[in-house]
Amino acid sequence: MPDWIQIILRALSLLVILFFFTKWLGMKQLSHLNIFEYITGIVLGGIVAIHVSTLESPIHFALISMFIWFIIPYLVELISLKSKPFRDFTQGKSRVVIQNGKIMEDNLKKEHYSTDDLLESLRDRNIFKVADVEFAVLEPTGKLNVLPKRENRPITAKDLSLNLAPDREPQTVIMDGKPLLESLANISLNPTWLETELEKMNVSIENVFLGQVDSDGQLTVDLYDDTLAVPSPSQKPLLLATMKKCQADLELFALATNNEETKHLYQRNSEKLQNAIDHISPYLR
Amino acid sequence: MTVGSQVKTCYASIKNIEATLAILANQTNEAKSRNVYRETEAMITEIKNDLEKQVLMLAREEPQYNQ
Repeated sequence: MPDWIQIILRALSLLVILFFFTKWLGMKQLSHLNIFEYITGIVLGGIVAIHVSTLESPIHFALISMFIWFIIPYLVELISLKSKPFRDFTQGKSRVVIQNGKIMEDNLKKEHYSTDDLLESLRDRNIFKVADVEFAVLEPTGKLNVLPKRENRPITAKDLSLNLAPDREPQTVIMDGKPLLESLANISLNPTWLETELEKMNVSIENVFLGQVDSDGQLTVDLYDDTLAVPSPSQKPLLLATMKKCQADLELFALATNNEETKHLYQRNSEKLQNAIDHISPYLR
Repeated sequence: MTVGSQVKTCYASIKNIEATLAILANQTNEAKSRNVYRETEAMITEIKNDLEKQVLMLAREEPQYNQ
């Protein structure tokens, strides 16, 4: 067999093996690798590189060494899933660098983390003043996670005690002009419903680049042809407006009539409708 | 517009609200939202029943609209 064919065969087979080893070792981003995974990655790559290009070394040497470098990290990962001390040893522990707003200089030193590194990581999180930080922890991957002081955290609906309607993730039901039947089924809708909604908007499905349905069953689409205007869902705002109009009408009737009993009836219903509006308005926004 | 036709218009709007709420309750896949839509629908139905009586009464008082 000529050498070049051997090299092609080796390259292809080792590529496949390396692919599956990496897959079985778990998928992680390069920046999230722990020490062990980092070493394994480098060594496996090195072994493959050497054996692909040097024909003097027999191919089974490559297989044996790759297998060992695969099975040991694999076992280490299995054991560390079960045992916390072992995990702390192989994957490292997170270290608190700011507690109660005070910098822990000793811990910084242990991690070889300079003051400049700390400031840089804080700036990454948009914090320019150390005094704004309540708590910060340095993860084994080298990432700094920060809990700002209470007054520096972004305000949430809970802080404002707002009553908000719950919602689920929107489902993408049209992609590149084709309906996605599986995600339609997820929200218990069918293609006929989709056709009807598209007809209401006066667009054909071939012209839709992307279409999504929110948890209230309202469809929003993006078209290939950006010059066409697409109506935004108007059902909910329209409903709220109609309710408000009816409430105002009932109040008018109550003012206009002279009959005490009828006046009372209109007033009662106007109040009921106001209650209904208050009840539902968070859901119609 | 006479009072009778005004009340009738309002009655029709209330029916529209009721039906829209029913559609929304059927469309949503969030259990809590569905409950709120159903509750509101029940409130609107009460108002609708009251108004219906009023519409009938006004129709008796303005018989020219019944011809």
